[in-house]
Parts: sequence; C-alpha cells; structure tokens
Amino acid sequence: MIHILLRDLEIPDIWQFDTYTANGGYDGLKKAVHDLSPAETIQIVMDSNLRGRGGAGFSTGRKWSFIPKDAETTYVVVNADESEPGTFKDRQLLEKNPHQVIEGAMLAAYAIQAAAVYVYCRGEFWDLAHALEDRIEEARQANLVGDDILGTGWDCDVHVHLGAGAYICGEESALLNSLQGLLGQPRVRPPFPAQMGGGLYYQPTVVNNVETLANVPWIIVNGADAYKKIGTPESPGTKIFCVSGHVAKPGNYEIPLGLTFRELIYDHAGGILNGKRLKAILPSGASGPVLKATDEVLDAPLTYESVAALGSTLGSASFILMDEDTDMVWAAAKMIHFFKDESCGKCTPCREGTYWLDKIYARLLRGEGTAHDLEMLEKVPNQIAGVTLCALGDFAVNPVLATLEHFRDEYEQYIHQPEFGPEPAQAL
Amino acid sequence: MTKTATIMIDDQTYQVPDGINLVDAAKLHGITIPVFCYHPKMESVGMCRMCLVELGSISVNRDTGEPDLNDDGSPVVRWFPKLQTACTQTVRDGTVVRTSTAQVLEARDNILEFILTSHPLDCPICDKGGECPLQNLTMAYGPGRSNFIYDDKLHLDKHVPLGELIYLDRERCIQCARCTRFCDELVGDDVLAFHERGRSLQIVTISDPPFDTKFSGNTTDICPVGALTTADFRFGARPWELDEVPTICPHCPVGCNLSASTRIDRDFGGKKMIKRIMPRQNELVNEIWTCDKGRFGHHHSRAADRLQHPMMRQGGEWVKIDWATAYHQIASKLKKYADSAGFLAGPTLSNEDLWELRQLAELTGDTPRLGVWPAAMTGAGVVAQVGIGVNTRLQDVGPETAILVIASDLEEEAPIWWLQIKQAADRGAAVVVANARETKLDRVTHTVVHYDYGDAVAVLNSFAARARSRRKTSKALLDNRVDGYDDLAAGLKGTRVPFADAADVLLDAENVIVFAGAEGLTLDQHRELMQAAANLLIITGHVGRQNNGLVPVWPGANVQGALDIGFSPETTASLIDEPPAMWFIGGADPAADDSQAAHVLANAEFVVVGAQFMTATAAQADIILPRQSFAEREGTYTNGMRRVQRFYAAQGPVGDALPDWTIYAQIGARLKGPKPPVSAAAVMRAITQHVPRYAGMGYSSLAHVEAQFPDVGGDDLYYGGTAYANHGGLGVQWATDAEDDSARLVVRPAQIEKPEKSGDLCIVPVRLLYDRGPLFEPSDIMHQRVPEPYLELNSQDAAHLSIADGDRVMVTAGEIQIETAARVNGHAPEGVVLWPRRLAHGPAPALFSACSVQKIEE
Repeated sequence: MIHILLRDLEIPDIWQFDTYTANGGYDGLKKAVHDLSPAETIQIVMDSNLRGRGGAGFSTGRKWSFIPKDAETTYVVVNADESEPGTFKDRQLLEKNPHQVIEGAMLAAYAIQAAAVYVYCRGEFWDLAHALEDRIEEARQANLVGDDILGTGWDCDVHVHLGAGAYICGEESALLNSLQGLLGQPRVRPPFPAQMGGGLYYQPTVVNNVETLANVPWIIVNGADAYKKIGTPESPGTKIFCVSGHVAKPGNYEIPLGLTFRELIYDHAGGILNGKRLKAILPSGASGPVLKATDEVLDAPLTYESVAALGSTLGSASFILMDEDTDMVWAAAKMIHFFKDESCGKCTPCREGTYWLDKIYARLLRGEGTAHDLEMLEKVPNQIAGVTLCALGDFAVNPVLATLEHFRDEYEQYIHQPEFGPEPAQAL
Repeated sequence: MTKTATIMIDDQTYQVPDGINLVDAAKLHGITIPVFCYHPKMESVGMCRMCLVELGSISVNRDTGEPDLNDDGSPVVRWFPKLQTACTQTVRDGTVVRTSTAQVLEARDNILEFILTSHPLDCPICDKGGECPLQNLTMAYGPGRSNFIYDDKLHLDKHVPLGELIYLDRERCIQCARCTRFCDELVGDDVLAFHERGRSLQIVTISDPPFDTKFSGNTTDICPVGALTTADFRFGARPWELDEVPTICPHCPVGCNLSASTRIDRDFGGKKMIKRIMPRQNELVNEIWTCDKGRFGHHHSRAADRLQHPMMRQGGEWVKIDWATAYHQIASKLKKYADSAGFLAGPTLSNEDLWELRQLAELTGDTPRLGVWPAAMTGAGVVAQVGIGVNTRLQDVGPETAILVIASDLEEEAPIWWLQIKQAADRGAAVVVANARETKLDRVTHTVVHYDYGDAVAVLNSFAARARSRRKTSKALLDNRVDGYDDLAAGLKGTRVPFADAADVLLDAENVIVFAGAEGLTLDQHRELMQAAANLLIITGHVGRQNNGLVPVWPGANVQGALDIGFSPETTASLIDEPPAMWFIGGADPAADDSQAAHVLANAEFVVVGAQFMTATAAQADIILPRQSFAEREGTYTNGMRRVQRFYAAQGPVGDALPDWTIYAQIGARLKGPKPPVSAAAVMRAITQHVPRYAGMGYSSLAHVEAQFPDVGGDDLYYGGTAYANHGGLGVQWATDAEDDSARLVVRPAQIEKPEKSGDLCIVPVRLLYDRGPLFEPSDIMHQRVPEPYLELNSQDAAHLSIADGDRVMVTAGEIQIETAARVNGHAPEGVVLWPRRLAHGPAPALFSACSVQKIEE
C-alpha cells in the first residue's frame, strides 16, 4: 500500500525536520524553485489532475492558473478549518507529517508567487497550531520559508491563524473574512478568491485544503504521469478516508481512489461493529446525502464521479457508517441541529430554514409529530436549496431529503407510533 | 452617466445607465424588484435573498459580435440555471431579467415566509407599521398564511437600548445588516456589530459610550423593519397620522433637507407639533442623511421656556406688553437714534427676515450698519467669485478630485459634509486635511498638514507658489479673465513650500474643492485665508465648474444668506469697536459668545433683541421681541454651497411670537415704510427683484422637485420611511462669477498676519456639534452627548502645570475666571488651550487671549 500522505505510518518521526528531509522532504520545493518556473509548476499540477480534497473536488492546477498573471500581491491560504463532522484527516497530517503540508503550501506559493501563506486552523486545533509554528520556524531556519528562499530572492513567509470554532469558516470566503478579522460569513461571489477583489485582503488568493497541498510535493518530485498511475483517470491519486461510526476499526485510511466502498469498509476498516449489518453511509460527513447501504453502493468505486452518480458526494471523504439499529430520523435530527447551530445567519433561507427544520425534528423526537410536519419536511428544504448565498444551505437540506427518500417509513412510524425511537416521547 | 446599456426586463427592452445596480435600473422604469438588505447607498451583500430573479444574458457570437438568434429571430438568452439575486448584479448591454415569473414569485413568497417565521408580527404596536418595507412587501408578495407553527417562534428582547438614542427590538430584526453597514462602511465608526450566528445573530453596540456616532438616527430610517427606533419618536405616533412638512435644518451650513413629521397633539395644547425629524432626499445636499443634532435637536421649537410675549424693561422688571406697544416704542427709538443705531442679524434669521431687517434699517439712514453674528468668518466677495460650482454632487466625487479641508473640525462644524468627504475618500478622492491640531477627518487620509495656529494663510500661499513653480497654473484663465495676477505672482516669489506633498496632491487632481473654516483665525486672518484659497483655485483653474471651488464652513445655517443680503462681519467688528447708541439684534446672542460684545451691550443706551429664549443678550435688552422658531413659520435659508432652500410652517404658534420679518415690517410701517408684506413669499419676491443673485428664485421655483437618482424617496414599497420623498423643493443654487465667462476674477496677495502671542498659554476657541447653545440645550434627549465643560491642554503644558487628564482647573483670561475640567489627550498644540464654544454658560474668552490655568486641589 502506497502512502503519499500518511507517511507517518511508515516513518513515525517524519514530523521532525531532519527525518522529513532525510526522506526526501523539501526536494519538491527545491526542485521547483531551482529548476521550474512558476508556470511550469502550475502545469505539472494541472497535468496530474489533482483534485481538491476539501470537498468540491475542483482541479487544483486550474485553481492556481486562475490567479491573474499581472497581480501584484497574491496569497496562499491553507484551509485547516477541518470542521465537517467525521473528518479528521487534516489533523493527522498536520500533527504527524506537518512539513509535507508546509512544503505543499510553499509550492503553491511559488507557483503563484505569493507574498505570504496563511494557515487557517480551526480554533480547536490550538495545540496543533502552536506545534506547527515550531515546524515553520524549522523550515525558516533552513531557508525554506521566509526571506530570500534558497537564495532565489523570493520572499514568502508562513503564518498560522486560529479561527474561533465556526463550521462556516471552512467555507473559503467566510474563512477569508475571518482571517481578515471580519465576521465569519461568506462573501458574495463573483469575485471569486482567485480574482482581484475576491481574495484575502481583496487580493487574488489560492485557498487549498491541507490534504490537497500535501499531495503536491510528491507530484513535483515524481511527476504528473506517476501520480496519474495511482487511482483512476478522473480521480487520480490516493485519498484519505476518515472512517467512523459503527465500524470495527475507525480511523484514517489512505487508499488509491477507485477501490470500492466494500473494500474500504470491510477489507480496511474491519467491517461493522459487533458484526451487525450496515444500514447507511454518510460518505462526506453531514453535508452530503446519506446513501443506503445496498450492494449497488457497496460495489461502486470510490471516485468523485461515481459517488456523484449514486446521488451523493465524496466530499472530504468522511465516512460515517450507521448499522441496522440506527434510527435515521434521529440521525437526521442530529445533523439538522448541527446545521442550525452552524448556519452563519447571513442569508434568510438558511438562517430561518434550519431553525424551522430543527423545530420540526425536535417535535418528531418528542413524539408530537404530525402529518403537517412531514409535509413541511418535504417543503421547507426546497425553499432553502438553491437560493442561499453559499453551499451550507444546500448541505443543510441533504440530511432531510436523503433520509426521507431512503427511509420514509421510519418517519411515518414517528408520526403514527410516537413511542418508537431511541428517545422516549416527552411532554414539553 | 453618459453611457447607456440596453437591457431586457420582463421581455421589454429598456435603456438604462450602464453599470448601475439592476434593482435601481428596474426601478427607473417602474419595475419592482423587492429588497430588504440592498440599499442604493451601500455595497450590496445579497443577504436577504428577497430580490431573486431569473437572470441571463444575450448570447453574442464571439467572431461577429452580433447576438445569436433563435429560429424566430429572437436573441438567444443564456440563463443562469438557478435564480440570482438582482442586487448583486450591475447592468450591462445584453442583461436579461425576468422579475415576475411563477418561479420568481414562489421564491419571494418563500423568502417572506421564512422572514416572518422569526418576526413577532406586532405591527399594531410597532412604530414602523404603516411605513414598513416588511409589512408592505408581505402585503404585496407574502404567502397570506404561514405553514410555520406559531408556538415555534423564537422570542427575543424587545427593548434593548443601543445607547440612549436608539432602541433595538431584537425579535423584529431581520438581520439585513443595513445598520451595521451604514456605521462601518459609510460613517466608519466602529460602533455596531453582529454578535453570535445563525438564528442567534443579533445587533449589538460595541462602543463606549454605546452607539457612539453622530449619525446614529440614520440607521432607524434605513432599517426595513421596526427593529431600530429612536428614543425621540418610539411610541409617539403612527406614521399615517403624520403630516410631513418639508423643512431645513437650522443648525449648520450644510442645510440638510428635513421632513418634520407633525401631528395635532394633546402634548402641545392641541396644536400641531413636530413628532420627529427625518431627512428628506436631496441628492445635491444631504442625500438621505442627517446628523443626530439635526434629527433630535428640534425640541427648542416648543420648549417650555420660550419667550411668548413682547416685554419691556421697566425699573429693572420685565413687563409684558402688546405688539402694538412694542412696535411703537421701537419705532420711536429708531427715529430718535436714527443713524446711530446698529443692526445685528443672527445665523438662523431667514432670508426674508434679513431682507425686512435691512428694509427697516434703511428707514433709519442711507447707510445703516448691518452686522452678522457670529462675526467669525467673512469672504462674501470671494464666494461670489469662486464658490463651489453649481450642481456639485459630493457623492459622485472620486479619484479625479482632491478635497482640501482647512481650519475646520468638519465633523463638529458640518457633519454631513464630513460624512460625504469621508465617503469620497473611500471612493478614491484625495483628501488633504490642514489644521493646527488633529481632527477626526485626519483618519480618512494620509495627507495631513498640521501647521501652527496663525500659519493657515501661509500654507495656502505656499500651495499657490507650488502651483506656479510646477507650472500647474491655468493659462487660459490667467491670460483672459484674471486681474491682479502679476502682483500675486510677485508676492509668491520665494515662498517656502513646507508641505509640498500635500500641495502636489491638490495640484495633480482634475478637480479641487476647498472647505475653509476659521478655527484659530481672527476675522482679518480669515479674510486673507479666503483670498488665499481663491488665489489657489483661480490660478489653477479650479473654479466655475461642477465639483470645483470654495465652500466656506460658515458658523451657522444662514450666514451665507446674511452676506448675500448685505450684512457683514466687518460691520459687526466696527459695531463692537465703535458701538452705536442703540442696538437692534435679531436671533443673535453676542453676549454669550463674546465678552467684549457683552460689555458693549451693557453700556448701550437702548437695546432691542428678537429672541426665542432669555439669552444672555436678551437679558440685556430694553425690549424683547419673541421670535418664532424655524418650525412655526415659512422662510428660506441659503446654505454654505449657496443653495437657497425653502422651509415650511410645521408647528402651531407659541404664545404671541411672530416671524422676524413680520416684526421688522410692522416697525417699518410705523416709520413711514411701505405696507407690510402679506407673506414670506411676497418678501422673497422683493428679494428676487433687488438682489441680483436671487433673481428668479420665487417660492414656486424653490419648491421645484425633479426625479432623483437613486430614487429612495418615491412611493416604492421597500425603502421605507414616508419622509424621504421630497415635496418641498430641491432649492436653487446661485451661480458664481467664475461660471460667467464674461466676468473678471480678481486675485491679490493674501497677507500673512501672525497672531500676537500675548502669553505662554493662549486660548483658541473651537466649535463642537453638541453644545449648550440655546437652540440645542432644550433637547433633553441629547444631554448625555453634550460633554461637561472642559478645556484641552497640550500634554507638555499640562505636565509643567502638574495637571492630569480629568483634573479640575481654574482658568483665568483677563476678567474671565472659570472653573472647568482639563483634558489632556494629545490634541492641543503646545502653548494652546482649546476652548469649546458654548459648552459652559457664561462669558467666553476671545481668540488668542492669554490665560493661566491652575489645578484645583481636591
């Protein structure tokens, strides 16, 4: 099994600068600044067809190529806000293989000739962020970060910034606002971050996920063709799958894209806890539609395009597995409660709609649900989806619509048999 | 707006100015795209999602540039797959939008249903009810019934004070952020913010004192619901009971167009009273804003201690007399003293009052002495030459324009101009702030000139010298229209240019506007400052055009009118130096402002004072004439940009008080003058016939209104506030000589006269917006905003005197001795004691009077 990212599994000390460099660390950055032009660097990443690991799966090289060539000041922002429920891959990368993330970020910075790199860590990562600053200092001492990098005259420092613990700040434009000291709310787009007026301090900015950047050093050293040999043509490379829930061996699994759901869940993650049957899969945390664990799903390959074809999304690959005893209404209620808490409140449908849905679920779980509530669970999500300022509104309706589609009978039981369910019916 | 774009709205083709907001473009043609968060004065944020429309663009063939056509000949439209917010779009050729399809109507219905889920629907007790965008749009587009279960509604605090002026009703708030954006973006005061997120998102004030901005009231106008209300008006009346009366703010030279919302009210003896003041849209003056002094400072018009009857002093007692007696007494005194009478007009006298006062004065002699008060600023002739160009719109000013503000603390003296200049700076205008001390305007620019008090004229002279040395002079103007240039040039030769960078900012701009105040300047120095400003503007050719020219920051609402009608500050100075035997004073309070004037009045033989209150000056009168406030009568004011503007009678009468013009005309009639005019309009007609600059400014032309852009004051359902609509007139601005190609322009060397430093510490009076002047003090609601009397000391000076910030001190300046508080915050230059005018009652020391300051030990 090849580990491009979770190299700490083979080299436990790779977080140390000397160990990292002894194992080829920073060779990619050295190669780029000495032998490649920024444009060539972008081209290699574009040719590798590396796709963004934060959730959207957009081509990383293309994203970099959108930076206007005449831009005077550009930035790279590393999205380490890892806040999707069930996602814990970036934490492992930053803790166990941090220099690879720094090197990837510096490669992105070199490709767009950025003035600075900002690493935006979620607020709960404070311990990790402090350690990361030490790692950056090591790189700075080695002239890999900071002024006159490797004697090339190029200056670019890396700064770590801690968020304040808001899910929405994983959304890139809200992240940029938060980084600027503004309220963490998404911006109107266009302009997009890569465009003038859309990025950090309104300068063109590349925002990449931690895992995405961690792929880049390998690609620069080994070339785009080598990378494309891993995974599938549309979804090349390896991907870290965060497997949690009712599973025997929860954890991060880095596997080539293109293996099947079944291989991931049963071969790598040890199958379902206590030998129970798998009922449902959330392939991308709370934000992607839940999949019913049918054979069609289990035998489908884990690629961006095939998961999309199943009606869900690979997203950040946070696999939350639910066994046969899981109450899907309860699960949806949990997710809606999460989105209601995390809606930033900027735009009306998401702010009001998630509040409304949360009220309905609370009533269902209390055993006081009515047919009107079920009607509303079908109507309200459609009032939210497609008209919100950012994607959070669209994500927020997925738990409702997908569980209604696959598990409608469980909802009906809540209405007709109020005593059903893990939480007893309670009067107000 | 030269370029137009061809767009399609609801399958009809329209021409609109290119690049304007789609919501505004539709509104221009009477098509409603409803909004809550969007406001044409602010950047769009796309938050409320009310303006969702179907949006597309006409597909154009890349090679030919021609539109692609369908088989039926209609253009191919590329539609966005999802609905888009109209407010985040600017129009360009080929924009296509559908505003009323089933999909759009359903989306609006849905958004309204969402907004109403969290709204308390307490319209029957809400101040906004009746002029509420949410109420209006719910009626127009709402679902009629809600699917939301009422018991699920979130209830929040309803009476949250954001400071003492503005109250927040948390459950009415729809999180549109208009108020926070107004404070953050337009004003730049960091006072309001959102707290929390999601459905808990709420407005909080983050300043101490709370909501610490001079523009807070504007947030209640732009609030699209009843979430923000003023302490002045909340629960005071229902909008539909109110009669909106157009008026003009009497407090400063901006001349904000206001609307007095009036009602017959038991609180005012069953007479019509002002329930609130709101801004009235005039894009050429205050746009849709006003400051909190203008909004909340109207209570003087119905203050309990207003003078109600004419009174005469008899044996040290005030005796009530009737008007006939008053007229007769005064007429006989004027006959007696004839040309040894002096006339003094205050800054809130209307043009009609001023005209009739002059008519009265002229009955006493051929060259009556007509003074204006405050006599702090002069330059009528300079303004007539190079005053700001006609139709200047400060809100259009951008990178092509440089604005110099000199010798003025503009936020305190003319807040709306400050606001407009701040926004111009945001749009890229180059702002140069020149003063002897730091002012709040400094923060909008990098180009700040701090000179020593007394050097203001030298700074402007050096700018003119720089213009010459850099050959930035206007040859066309100098060759053909300017007199006196050789003298000026000779005078400028060898002038040192200590602030060359600031000079270059002005010289490199396409347009230059100069705002000139008089802080730290004597009247003589101010005359030279105005001339120096005129010199600079003339030789560089920045005159006679829109967005170019000089704006004096006059010390009052109608000082410009007084100068236009023939009153002068120089005469005032001579009246104090060579006092007349009889004083006739209208609407001025020199005794409170100037200890020398107080002394002179005390020694006069006979003093007549027209006043609203028993001021220090009125207290020295032999006869007091109760004058009506701006609220009870009609009239016109001429603002600092020479715009003559009408105000209308908004309030029922108080006692026997009369408009000044009536009083003066009645006295005149007893001096064999003409029959008194029957109306203010008739007086204005006389002015138009005798004052050439006012020709054609009859009351009907002053009341003329044209469509304005952006249109915020119309009958739309979504901008809210019924008061914006301007039914009172946009006013008429008189043109300067510079705008007349055949007129000569005169320059002359401006003399630098350094003040005599009479001691180690000298007093420099400064103007504050919130003071204890007679027209502001009756507004109790503002008392927390008026600082306790203080003076400001330089930190070095304070250290020498062992005085710390906040210490009580005794100040002695000549005969004046006052106990007050000391502020030491780094704003006062060394050797200078800043003395806020009208903060303390009692006599005020003159400019540059020597003083001593002693700490009072506890």
